[in-house]
Amino acid sequence: MGLFTRRRRQATDTSGLGASVIALRVGDVDVAPVGTALVIFNAAGYARRAVAGRVAPGEGETVYCVHPGPYSIDLIPFAAAPELGLRLRFLIDASDPRVTQQRFDLFLFSEAEAQLSVAAFGKAIESALQSELNQGSLDLPPCTALEEWHAFRAGLNQLLYTRFGITVDDCVPVDLGDSRDFAQMLAARVQRIATDLQFKADAPGPEIAPSPVAAPSRVAARAAIRPAVREADAKSLRRLFLELPALTSGLRVLALPAGQATFQSHQQLMQRLGLIALSVGTMPSLDWAAPDQSVSALEQNRRSADSARAVLSLDEAWALLARLQLAVPMQLDELFDDADRIVANLEHHLQRRRAASLVPDVDDSADEAAAPRKEPSL
Amino acid sequence: MTMPNSAECRSVLADGRVLTITATRRPRANRADVKCVVAGAPSICERMQEVVRLARHTEARFDSRDQVVLSMDIAPTAVERDWELAAVLADRIVRGAYQPPQAAEAPPIYAQGWSDAWHLARVCGQPALAMERLRPRLTASDIVILGDDGAEPRDDARDGSGLTVSHLGGLTGHTDPSASVSTARAWFPLHSGGVNDSLNWVDVSVYPIETGGGEEETTIAAPELDPTAQLALRQALAGARHFDGRGLGRWRTVVRFGQPRFQGTSYELALVMADRLARGREFVPRGRVIASGCSSAWHAGRVETVEGHEAKLALILKQAGRGDRVLLPLAWQADLPADFAAALRARGASLACIGQIGII
Repeated sequence: MGLFTRRRRQATDTSGLGASVIALRVGDVDVAPVGTALVIFNAAGYARRAVAGRVAPGEGETVYCVHPGPYSIDLIPFAAAPELGLRLRFLIDASDPRVTQQRFDLFLFSEAEAQLSVAAFGKAIESALQSELNQGSLDLPPCTALEEWHAFRAGLNQLLYTRFGITVDDCVPVDLGDSRDFAQMLAARVQRIATDLQFKADAPGPEIAPSPVAAPSRVAARAAIRPAVREADAKSLRRLFLELPALTSGLRVLALPAGQATFQSHQQLMQRLGLIALSVGTMPSLDWAAPDQSVSALEQNRRSADSARAVLSLDEAWALLARLQLAVPMQLDELFDDADRIVANLEHHLQRRRAASLVPDVDDSADEAAAPRKEPSL
Repeated sequence: MTMPNSAECRSVLADGRVLTITATRRPRANRADVKCVVAGAPSICERMQEVVRLARHTEARFDSRDQVVLSMDIAPTAVERDWELAAVLADRIVRGAYQPPQAAEAPPIYAQGWSDAWHLARVCGQPALAMERLRPRLTASDIVILGDDGAEPRDDARDGSGLTVSHLGGLTGHTDPSASVSTARAWFPLHSGGVNDSLNWVDVSVYPIETGGGEEETTIAAPELDPTAQLALRQALAGARHFDGRGLGRWRTVVRFGQPRFQGTSYELALVMADRLARGREFVPRGRVIASGCSSAWHAGRVETVEGHEAKLALILKQAGRGDRVLLPLAWQADLPADFAAALRARGASLACIGQIGII
């Protein structure tokens, strides 16, 4: 019954919900405030939603308390134009009956920590937007005409719905000149450059000032494993493991025009994504090359960096899914070429993540004629 | 997106020989991403591979499908580094990451420059010296790209389609995110009787000043122009900043032109756009801004029509490349050829006819 259990812990502070916090992991004794919703993940990761009230998680369940908003954030679409922003108002919708797994629930489960703050979420949205604009998948040129703006809005709405599961309510360009001063930023840059130069000038060379303790060499410093490396790698692999099936099913249900060529490229994409998911599921652990054979710290750092790069490709793939959902048949060739690139990048990074050590590149002109090259394999 | 199968970039060595760097693409097939071939100079090979890999860190788009093979026809001496920019450009052109102007006609590209920080996209060079070496070999159609040394440009140091850049983003007129002076560049068509039509650039550098309060026009300098033209330029820029609302009294400004000897006021829209980009108050295009237009009332943000639209449209259509943004006065919209916008879009550029600057 749980009537006589001792209060073991303080109730979670839920006052920030809806203002500065979007979602909060809550536990046994908490009461979700009115107007929020509970998202409950069972041990297998399946989510269900419940109305607000007293939280009573079952065995192995994780509960998030989510406030639907609306929230308002300022985004900077271009890092080079810090005084010009977009004011975005978004909300987290009630569940969409057409899909079995809500995208926002997946986002919470795979990316959120104990608390999902509006600021951190805004940063994630901003980086997704900036990378799309840099790669040219969204267009926001100077002196935007009205129809270009509408096209941008449609792309942005779809991107944010597909990538984060949020619904954009309103988005307007704003002048952020009152809060961010580019002149001051430039002046700060001058200061920083001056300090760097000063630092370089002041730093004693090794032969001038011999220190009593031998400083760690650069190689040794790089070889020392950082404690965050293991966590970062685990987080990347968790994201890949959880999100790849959802991404694949999103790509599978796309409504594509009939035609042999389209069908074949779609099918090939599905097959490759299936192999990638298999590769993620069977990924060797960070610190072992083989039983009883550990991997050097240097290689562990490298492996972790490769899994982080694979996650970047995963983000690109979500953005691509959003573009494919809006695409007209004319754009399909270009989009499938992009899909080919992204999937190839995923394969490339995961293959490097699997490898226990990378042999340095050798000049391959000699053996090229003699032996056929080994193709990349899982 | 169509990509060339091979790309060539040239560089003149200290002894006057011309070095050609050729880049080709082939499927990666488990090989290294960059392969360099220089007969008899393994250290140059290594350096070239390092340079190209470092410069790739500054790109937004990563593609693991292709291997790029770079080769030099003659080996430079080990101490020479002026060829580095040519290697980086050849690698970018062959992958479609950079599109040189007039890519259809494929004129020879000469590039001279080096860098100690390719991963920050910085480029150094000695444009005056490089130009001296290049001059006997140049023809009118050649494209010249030089690393910048930050010195005052000499008047004879850049004729033809010369472009000096201090970082790789400068190729498309973007500001350098690590420099303390914000410099942006925009292009405008110059009509001089058919064959000599060319795109000229205007380059606006801004630096913050602590104490404002003076007249805005005294903080704007255009050292290459004669006093009358300078006065007109100052008035246009001060007017546009007045329209902007937050531009006055904060900046010291220097304006430079690729080719300072021209007449007319059709450069004004390009100037105003470059100024807004440099001050971080405009959406940034992926490619260049190509603009033509003037105004009698910049303080109201109005854009008015200019002369010679047929020749200029033809020139813009020839020169525009992927990601470029073409801005024309609203009055030209009715006279545009029917397929002009479609032709620009086919080249990857976009067009807007505007009656007013600012957001939407």
